[in-house]
Formats: sequence, C-alpha cells, structure tokens
Amino acid sequence: MVPQAQINTTEISEKARRDLLRLLETVRGKKNLVIQKALAGTLGLFVKFSTLQEYGVDRVFFLENGNIDSSQKNVVFLVRSNKSRDVQAVADQINQLRQNSQVQHEFTTIWAPRRTLISDQILEEAGVLGDVTVYEYQLLFVPLSEDVLSLELDETFEDIYLTKDPTSIFLAAKALMKFQQKCGLFPRILGKGDNAKRLTNLLIRMRSEITAEDAGESSSFLDLTPSQSIDSLIIIDREVDFPTVLLQQLTYEGLLDEFFGISSNTVEVDSATIGPPTGPPQASSSTAAASTTRSLSHKIALDGADPLYSALRDANCAVVGPILNKVARRLQSTYESRHKAAQSTAELRDFVAKLPGYQAEHSSLKQHTNLAEDVIRRTRAEFFTRALEVQQNIAAGADPTSQHDNIEELLARDVPLELALRLLCIYSTFSNGLRTRDYDNFRRMILHTYGQEHLLTLHNLEKMGLLVARTGGGLVGAAAGPVGSTTNYTVVRKNLHLIVDEVNESEPDDIAYVFSGYAPLSVRLVQCVLQKQYLASLSATGGAGGTPAGAGLGWRPFEDTVKLVRGATVDETQTGEEKAVRARQMLNGSVGEAGKTVVVFFLGGVCRAELAALRFVADKLKGQGRGKKLLICTTNVISGDAVVGAAVEHRTF
Amino acid sequence: MDIPKPTANWEKLGSRFYRKIPLYTAVFDPDLELANYLIAAAPCAGAIAVVRDTSENRLTPLRTAATANTKPTIDIYSCAGALLTRLPWDRSRVCALGWSDSEQLVVVGEDGGCRVYDGLLGGDFSPFSLGAEAEEHGVLSARFWSGGFVALLGSGRLVSVASYSEPRPKVLASAPNETVHSWALIAPADSLSRSVEVLLAVGKSIYVVDSSECEDRGLDAGPFRHVAVSPNGRLVALYTDDGKVWVVSSDFQNRLSEYDSKVKSVPKDLQWCGNDAVALAWEDEVHLIGPNGEASKYYYDGWVAVLPDIDGLRLVTNDVCEFLQRVPDVTLETFRLGSTSPASILLDAVDQLEKKSPKADDNIQIIRQNLDEAVDTCIRAAGHEYNIYWQKQLLKAASFGKSVLDFYSSDDFVDMTETLRVLNGVRFYKIGLPISLDQYLRLTPERLIQRLINRQEYLLALKISDYLQLPTDRIYVHWACQKVRASSDTEEMICRTIVQRLKGRRGISFEEIAHAAFDEGRTRLATDLLNCEPRAGKQVPLLLNMKEDIIALDKAIQSGDTDLVLFVLSSLKKKLPLASFFRILNSRPLATALVESNAWKQEQSLLKDMFYQDDRRLDSANLLLSEALDTQETPKRLDKLKMASKLLADSRENTFTVKALDETSKLLREQESLDKDFGPGFIGLSLNATLYKLIRLGGLKRATKLSSSTVSDRIFWWIKLRALVAKRDWTEVEELSKQKKSPIGWEPFYNEVLAAGNLRLAGLFVPKCTVLTVKERVDMWIKCNMLGKAAEEAGKAKDLSTLLELRTTATDRDLREVERWISTLQKK
Repeated sequence: MVPQAQINTTEISEKARRDLLRLLETVRGKKNLVIQKALAGTLGLFVKFSTLQEYGVDRVFFLENGNIDSSQKNVVFLVRSNKSRDVQAVADQINQLRQNSQVQHEFTTIWAPRRTLISDQILEEAGVLGDVTVYEYQLLFVPLSEDVLSLELDETFEDIYLTKDPTSIFLAAKALMKFQQKCGLFPRILGKGDNAKRLTNLLIRMRSEITAEDAGESSSFLDLTPSQSIDSLIIIDREVDFPTVLLQQLTYEGLLDEFFGISSNTVEVDSATIGPPTGPPQASSSTAAASTTRSLSHKIALDGADPLYSALRDANCAVVGPILNKVARRLQSTYESRHKAAQSTAELRDFVAKLPGYQAEHSSLKQHTNLAEDVIRRTRAEFFTRALEVQQNIAAGADPTSQHDNIEELLARDVPLELALRLLCIYSTFSNGLRTRDYDNFRRMILHTYGQEHLLTLHNLEKMGLLVARTGGGLVGAAAGPVGSTTNYTVVRKNLHLIVDEVNESEPDDIAYVFSGYAPLSVRLVQCVLQKQYLASLSATGGAGGTPAGAGLGWRPFEDTVKLVRGATVDETQTGEEKAVRARQMLNGSVGEAGKTVVVFFLGGVCRAELAALRFVADKLKGQGRGKKLLICTTNVISGDAVVGAAVEHRTF
Repeated sequence: MDIPKPTANWEKLGSRFYRKIPLYTAVFDPDLELANYLIAAAPCAGAIAVVRDTSENRLTPLRTAATANTKPTIDIYSCAGALLTRLPWDRSRVCALGWSDSEQLVVVGEDGGCRVYDGLLGGDFSPFSLGAEAEEHGVLSARFWSGGFVALLGSGRLVSVASYSEPRPKVLASAPNETVHSWALIAPADSLSRSVEVLLAVGKSIYVVDSSECEDRGLDAGPFRHVAVSPNGRLVALYTDDGKVWVVSSDFQNRLSEYDSKVKSVPKDLQWCGNDAVALAWEDEVHLIGPNGEASKYYYDGWVAVLPDIDGLRLVTNDVCEFLQRVPDVTLETFRLGSTSPASILLDAVDQLEKKSPKADDNIQIIRQNLDEAVDTCIRAAGHEYNIYWQKQLLKAASFGKSVLDFYSSDDFVDMTETLRVLNGVRFYKIGLPISLDQYLRLTPERLIQRLINRQEYLLALKISDYLQLPTDRIYVHWACQKVRASSDTEEMICRTIVQRLKGRRGISFEEIAHAAFDEGRTRLATDLLNCEPRAGKQVPLLLNMKEDIIALDKAIQSGDTDLVLFVLSSLKKKLPLASFFRILNSRPLATALVESNAWKQEQSLLKDMFYQDDRRLDSANLLLSEALDTQETPKRLDKLKMASKLLADSRENTFTVKALDETSKLLREQESLDKDFGPGFIGLSLNATLYKLIRLGGLKRATKLSSSTVSDRIFWWIKLRALVAKRDWTEVEELSKQKKSPIGWEPFYNEVLAAGNLRLAGLFVPKCTVLTVKERVDMWIKCNMLGKAAEEAGKAKDLSTLLELRTTATDRDLREVERWISTLQKK
C-alpha cells in the first residue's frame, strides 16, 4: 500500500503539460492553433511555444482577433468553455472559415476545463458539431509558484459577486475534489463567507456522489478516508474582506501588479522603463521576443525561482532599495575578488564555472533595479501619497467624514476612475455604507467627473455591495449592520489587531508590514485557525490563558469575533467510513502533525499583498517546528483595480 | 487412461509447432449453409455474427427464391453454437459485419447506413450514415479494427470511422480509380503515423492510403488477390495471381518469405494465425504456412470459416469449432517429446509420485538447480492448457516442486489457479467463451465480466467478480435494467425488488435503471427509481426526457453545476411561453442570475421582458440606459433616457437615479449646442470635462453658467484653475488671484502655476497662503526662485538659521537682501 500522496505543484504542471501535448498529438500533422489570449498566458506557465511547435503547431492565433487563416488544413481551437460567448465565437469562426476557405479543413476543439452540454448545444445550433472533433482538457489548478495554485479564472470576481454566476465555485469544488481523490479527504473544512459555505456544501455533495460513482476503482474506497498528508482546508470568501483587495498594496510584487499588471507571472512594461536589454533577456519566452519588436513594450518573467526576485517580491517597497543595494555590492565584490585572488588555476576554474550564475544574477539585478526605480518614482507621486493617506486613515478607523475634503479634491483633480472608486469603496466597506447624503453627493461627483454612463458602474458597485448607502442610519464610523451580512469593523479591528502601529518593514514581525500598518483581515482569519497563540498574545488581556494550537480547535477561541465578520461561518469535520479509517490506520500507523499541509483557498481572488502575508505566516509555521506547510490556492490573483474594474461601464455617450 | 496427450493435435511447421484445439462440437444446425453467409467473430473468443449474404456472386437464383419471403435477420451465436439473439434487419443489403473491442456488433449496409449494436442481446443500436457519397455509390465492403472501420465505396473512395461513440465519417485521400482486387488496413495503434492506413491492391501494386495521402508501394507482382495484415500490424501477407503467398514487412521494405501454393483456384480467404503464420483457406481445406514457407494442410468435411483472433485462428464448420495457434513456448518446453527441460522432468516427477515411485525424488535432484524455473514454467504452461486434467497435472507438478523449494513466492501459483477457475468457468459450453490465456490477459477480467453481463449470465459474473474482488455494481445495474424491461410484475413490485436488492451497494447507477424503465414506457417506475439516484447531475437529462422540467431544473440547481442549469433552462425556454418561463425563474435566484448574465451579453430583448414582467423598474431603467449608450444618435438617446426616467418617476427610493438621468439628458442637449458653438468633441464628455474643455476654448462665462446649479464651488474652481493653466491663460489666472477668497485655498494655484513653469505668477500666490507656516512659505519662495522674498519672509519671522542657509545659495540682489536681513536680526 502506498502512503497517501502529497499535493505536489510540479506534478500538477507536469500533468497539465502532458495532457495538452497528448491532445495536440491526436491531431495528425501540422496545425494552426486558435487560443484565447488569457489561456495562452496560462499555458505559458508550463509549456514553451517551441514545445508546441514540436507537436505540430504551426501558427498561433488569438480567438479574440478572429483572424485565423486557411494556411493549414488542421485547425485546433483551445478555449475555455465556461462562457457561452467564447463558445459562440468558436462556432462563428468555424463557419466563417468554412465559407471563405478553399481548403477542406479538419476542425478540432479542445474545451478547458471540460466539455459542457451548452458548448455542444451551441455548436449544434451553429451547424458545426458534426464536423468538429471535440476533446476536453481538464485544466484546473495551475501553479504560479511552488506554494501558490490558481485556477486562473479571470472573470471570477465579476461572476460571483456581480452576476452571481457560481460557475467558478463549481469548478473550484471540482479542483479541490481532485485533491481529495488523490490525497484523501480534508479532515476539517473551515471557512468564512456565504460562498465558502456554498463551496463546502458542494464538496460534501460531490463526496457522496463520488462514493456512488467510483466503485470501479477499488482504491478509492480507501482514499476517501481523512487524509494523512493534509491537515485542513481553510476557505476564505473574498466577500468577507473586500477592503483588503481595495487597499493600495505596498509589497514589491503588489506594486508591480498595481502599476503594470502581472498576468501569468509576466509583467509587461515600457522598454523605456527598464532600459535597452543587454544580452539575452533571461527567461522570457519566444512569444515575448516577438512582441518586443512590434511594440515598445517588454515582457519580463517574474520567476519565483530567481533568488533575487524571491527575496524582493514580498518585501515592503520601503526596503526594496536597500535589498537591491546589498545584492549589487555583493556582486561587485565577487567580481573584484577575481582580480585579487586569482592565484591558482583551480580557483580560477571554480570562478569561471560560477560565472553564468553571476551573469544571470547580474541581469536580473539590472532589470529589477530599473523596475524598482520606476515603482518608487510612482509611489512618490502626489496622487499616490494623497490616496494612500486617505486609505490608511479610513482603515485605521478614523472618522471617514474627515476625509471628505481629500476625496473631493482628488475627484476634482481628475484622478483615474479606478482610484476614485477604490477610495469610495474602501470608505463604504469599512463603515458599512455611506450616509445617504454623502452617498448621493459622491455618486453625483463621480458622474460629473467621469461621465453619466457610470450610473451603470455605480449600480454595479451597489449590487456587489462595494459602494452602498447605509441602511438604518446609525452612528458614524461605528455603524454596525445586522450581524452576518456586514462586518463590525470597530470590534473586529480591535479584537483581531488589524491595525499595528509600529511596523518594522525591514525585519517584519507581523503580517501588517504588507500594508505598512494594516493587517489584512483575510489573513488574520487564517491566523485565527493556525496561529492562535500568536494572535492571542497580541492582546495583552487575553495573553493569560495559553491556548493550545492546532486546527483541531477550528475557530476557537475566536469564534465570537469571527461571528462579527460578514458571511456564514463554516466548520465541517470529515470522517470516512469507520471501517476504512481503521484499515488506513493499520496500514500507515498514525502519522504525527509534522509535515502536514494546510490548504488555504481564496474564493473570488487573492491579492499579492495577501500572498506575501500568507507566506509570512507559512514561514512562521515552519519556524515553530511543527513543520506545517501552507499551500495557497485561489480562483485567480486580483488587484483593487480589477475589483472595481469588474463594475466599470466602458461605453461612453 | 484415455486422456489424450497434449501433443496429440500438434503439427510441426518448420522448427515450430502448431496445435489445433477442439473447442466445441455440433456447433451449427446442419441446415445452415455457412457458405452463403457473411461471418464475423468478436475478438478474444467473442460471439459470432452471421447474416445471409445476398450479393449476386454468392447466391444462386434458386436459393434466392427459397429465402425471398423470409425476413432477413442477423444471428449472433456463441462459439459453442448457441443462438444468443436474432436481430431483425430491415435495411438495405448487409455488406459487412464487424465487432468492436467491447463486443459491439457493427453492421454496414450497402447504402452507407450503419448500426452499432450496444449490449449483445438487447438489440439497442445507434445508427449513423457514411454520408451522401456512400448513399449514391453504395458501399462495396468494409474492414474493421478494434475501434473503428474503413468502408470502400462504389466510387472507389475510402471512408473511415474512428470512433463508435461519436462516429464521424472521414473521407481518406483518394486512391487511383481502378478495380480494387483486395484490401486490408493497419489499425491506428499499429501504424507509424498513428492513424489508420489502408492497403489497396490495385493494378499490379499496393497503394497505401491514409487521411492525407495515397502512396504507391511500387510492387509489380500483382494483381494481389488477398491482402492480410498481421495482428500486430508489422507484417503483411499477399496472395499473388499465380498462387504464391508473400510475406513482407508492413512498410514494404523487406520481403520475408515466399510460398508457392501450387493450387490453381484462388483461395477464398487469407488470414494470419497469430503473428507468424498465415492460413490459406479454400472451401474445405486450410493450409497453414510457417515463417519459412513450410506448410501443413488441414481438411474438413464441410465448408470452413476462418476467423482470426489476436493469437490464433478460430476454424468453424457446422460440426466443430477449433482453435489453431502456435504452441506456446512454455507448453512446448514441457510437453515436447523427448524434452529434457526442468519443467518436463518436474511433470514426470509428479507422475512418478502418483505411482509412488522413488524416481520422483531422483527427478527432483536432477533439476535441483533449476527447480524454481521449472515451477514457473509449469504454472504458465497450466495457464495455456485447455484440458482440465493437464491443468491439474501441471499445477500438481508446480505445487510439488514448490514444496521442495525453501523460498518461493506462491503469488503466481495462486493467481494462476484463480485465473484457471475463471477460464474454465467461461469455457463451459453453455457459456461458450473459449478464451485463451493471452486473450484473457489482453481482455482484462473487468471486460470479461462485462461480456458475461451482456450475455445475461449474471450469476457467473457475480461469482467471478466476488472471487476476483472486482466491483459488482455494473452487474446489478444491468440485472435491474433487464428486470425493468422484461418483468411482468407491477411497477411497485419491480421497484421494491430492485431497491431491496441494490440498496446500500456502492456505485449503483439508478439513473441508468430509470432510463431503461423510461425507455420501456414505465414512467412512474422511472420516477421512483430516479429518486434513489444520489447524483443530481445524472438525473437531469432523463428528467428532461420525461418532461419533468421543473424537477429537472431543481435537481440541476442542487448539483451546483451551472452547465446543467443552463442546459435545462435553454430547453425550457424553447418549450415554454415566456411568461411561464419567467414564472419558473422567479423563485430560483440562481437560475435567474444565470439567465440574466447570459442575456446581458447575448439577448437583451429577453431581459426587457423579464424585468417588465417582474416589475424590476431600476433594472429596466438601467437596460434603457445601456441601450442609449449603444445608439449613436442623440435624439434616440434622449428618448431612451426619458423613458428610463419616467419608469422610475413615481418610486421614492430612486430619486437619485431619476435626477441623474434627467441631468444626463440635459447635458447631452447642452453638449449638442456646444458642439455647434465651439466645434465638435463635446458629446460624450462628462460634465467636468465639458466645463474644462469649454474654459480652454475660452468659454469661461458659459462654463460658469453651466456649472451654476450642479457643480460645487470647490470643484468648479479646481476645474477653472486646471483649464486656465493648461490654456496658459495667465491674465485670467491673475484676475482670479485678485479675488479675496478661494474655496480651495490659494496653495493649489501656486502649485499648478509653478508646475506650468510660470515662476512670477506663482510667486503672486505665496503671500495669499496665510494658513501655512513661515517655513513652508519660505520654501515656496525658494521654489519660485525668489530668494529675496524668502529672506523677507524669514526675516519677518526672525528665523536666523534659515537666513544663514539662504546666504549660501543666494546671488546678486537677493544676496544683498539676505545680508540685510541677517544684519538687522543680528543687531538686536
């Protein structure tokens, strides 16, 4: 009997790669590939363009461009099937190609992550189903780095919170179910938020369905016992903590995302920013090289395996400069040591052998120095500091009415729409809505400044609960809405120590460093489960009774505070059939806590500052000697601009 | 003892031995004239399908008359000759029969109509067509592989079908349009290109055709009367017109052997027997040709059918069913006359042991060194043996040898005894699956059980499953389906029986059973059974079929699978009038959300109706606003906006929206007139941007009027300031500076003007910033490059240190000013 498997991120990307290539192989000969832009980025995470070429891909077209030509007989579409709009686009392009082309094409569509009934229906209605070979490509989780898995569903936020379309929740459940089938049941599922509840229910439901389904594989009978390698699953619904994503991120990676936008681990910047590339741009894919010639933008791969980047990405921007300096000095001295110490040939050979490493480090240093300079320049801009000030005051619980003038001035000076909306949404979410008079005033200001079409934008924000009028009057700032549907920040801020006054940015001692003083509520909730002692020690009063740690306790002793946070609270223990559990125990013996993985799933997206904070927590857990590992999973990585961007109306009068 | 020696039916062919194992006798009804039938056998000792061959060249007119009035049927027999089922055939002439790997019968009709029969006995089939060309020209013949087939059309084209679950006929590359003497195919799994390749004997050569090209292999010894590809796809056997058999590699690079049959008449069939011998068959005679051109001949009393399998040939006549295969190496080693292999000595030892002879031990001593090898060989040889006596004898030998060994893992032995029990069980003539060990390993136990299920041999299937610890769910489900179809009990009874029997078992698909019940027309039974199905998703399609739309929708919602929900919704929308469709949505928020989000992108008219029916006025208004954005003409836009505003007019909570909508109309009208007065580009701007643009174009007065009631003073001042600075209208800015008070203070003026580079004007605002500290004002002066003023500011505040600092940078007049202030301060 093999011990239950661990979740291994490289294995996941390896499997995704193999599956893709196997599907491509089924189409004989050369083929043109039509792919969604976003999906192309995702694939770039685990397969190189040159590999696709080896498997017969001649040219790649983007579905969005609709410019597929008839240069090859075989045409393969690789498209996500969860939006009927995209499926329709595939059907249209097939029809178009059939009409315009002299060639008798062979069409293949590969649906990711699954073939849907609706996709079949759409193809059938378009009259093409009979001529298309259909496959499905089960692409669910994709590793962004060794501890982060993402479903890379870009529209999740809009789907779940604006249109209330739970497809992503269903796909998330499927993906998590795969873990359970491989590693055994999550012994405990903890969650916060209404959608977390929904996801948990789906997981439980799927479990019973799988029990009914998979009797075919005799092994599954043992696998659906509580896992030995996973400690628990913690689900955080984004809805529980909107403000955190709306706040200006202050980690290096967070800022890169805010300013340039990171997609699929690459960031696209103006080539003027990073200067002319010296030598080969490291680790940038061949597609990126092609795009540099066309436009003046330049793609840079942000590789977690690059030691420099992994040191930088989670650092607060205040310390990015010093880190870069240190590395630069070290490299400098290494280079100089060559002159002084080139005594023996052996040493010289040693040095030469290390040279490529130094060179890679050097070019990476150069890139990041340029990037960091640009980032820091932008953080010194007036709008940035003014907005940051407003945000931090509101987050810290200052009377938001004191910020009215500041917000008004920023609006009058025509700051970008997203920034303005973020400020108002932070205001609204932290204080459970604006007073009706203020609400109307600000709404009017938004319309005046950015256009009347944003009446729709505002309506969308209201629907998402990001910018709302306060119901039932109440006190300013301390307003507490009905328990369950709103978060009482006045109490939560105090009990969970969301505000840490003294932050050490260079040697961080609390997750609050990522926002220079504000600890994200979402990650505090995770700490409620994983770092009970630490969290308790923060409050001087509660320090007396040392609480034993471990997921076994669920939310205790913080359950009262957690209840004050918006949304349902989930705490499910999963046990397998008693017989099976015993059999499993006999086979494996009981394994201690050590080395178990805690899966943290962010439903609706996670921002990079939160990732940094979670990594910080993970490091602490590792340090505690119990050796728990943290695996961060999410539907997608988002930033504040994307959150409000989901609501923004793009048409104008 | 009359147990025949295993070697009795061996035949030596060159250096190799072949054996012909009699499987069953009295197979077919003597009246069945095999010669007039198309015969096809499923792989791995599967069922045999026969259909009367009605093509012209087979049938004499006299016989046609005799059978003309009977309906044609396709009969399926087990290998033992038991008629399993009789399938009625009412379509055009059957021109080919074939089997898939999972024992589905595939029938190809002359008109291109094909059927794939699922399950052996049910007679359920899925039909598909080979396309218009096949219909027009007719199908001549077809060749099959495990997962598909290729048909040769009357027009000379080849059509391939590569999957039976989703049959898509694909036309292969066109071959030279000449008579095809014979043809064969290489299965996709065996070909180099991984797609099917067809070998056509045309003219004097062989053409290889695949989906993209047709290539001449350049042979000149044709025409070839027969082409056959070996089971592993590596070799091809060709029969030339002058009676020779050639064996070449399938890439036609090497010619391996040649055999001259010296027979004038062309054989009716050429087939491979395993991967290294070829059988030539005439009416009642079979020649087996070995690798080096040796031959052995078998004669029969009647017509003989040659049915190839993966490791041998089944020879079927009316009387007997025999299996012809190469003697497996282990068997050869054990039984060969005069063999001195350890295994044969071990076998002999058991014989001696039974005779209680001490020689048994002598034998063991002889092979002591190789005893484990001997045991292994005996075990494997037992597996290849059909005769139960010899199976036992071999296992006894193995067991005896094993008992002598100190360390020996008995796993193989145990596995083999289990396997043999299974094999003997299914070989029994009533079951009629004479499967060989190799076939069993290829087929896998799971699929063997599936075959038993298809034959409705539930008891044996269950016993074997339990014995091998395999899941039994499929067996129960199949049984239940059969029960539902065939039982004459009341529906309630049936349901109770089934639920009782199946409850608590894992993996039971009640949906499948319910489906069977529904197909049988037992709707109530289907509903009852469906309720036992735990997987909501599985229930949905059937519920839709059963017209239980609303239950289907609720089940789909329960499953959480949005795809299913959308699927149900789309079928509901087609079926129901809109009003009732919306009524169904009304109480189901998830469904509503899905319909809405899809409709926003694709079908806004649906939304309009939906919002209207549900009286969702705000949403209706938003939709109108969105439509206004989509049109380009201002009058239309104004209409839409007016409608939207009217819609909300009498509700109190929407006053803001109403006002905003009205403002929008007003702004649009205003912008239209501005476009006329100041040039185009105003339409589409926001109010603030309009003001800004207006001021930049010199319309300050009009802007002030426009802003008067709606924009706050502070904001308007900001706009004014930014626009004027952008316009570099310094006189106007200076004019502003003369005002006593600014709602935004004077600092922004200083900052904006300074940023625009007008130092002089910027300086004008410094003294007005009275709320700032001296230090800040000094800095402001310095930034304007007015150090003298800075010195004055610092001097008045008696700030000596600042002055000293200023001294280091100041020049000329400013320096003098600084010195003056320093001295006045120091005097005191």
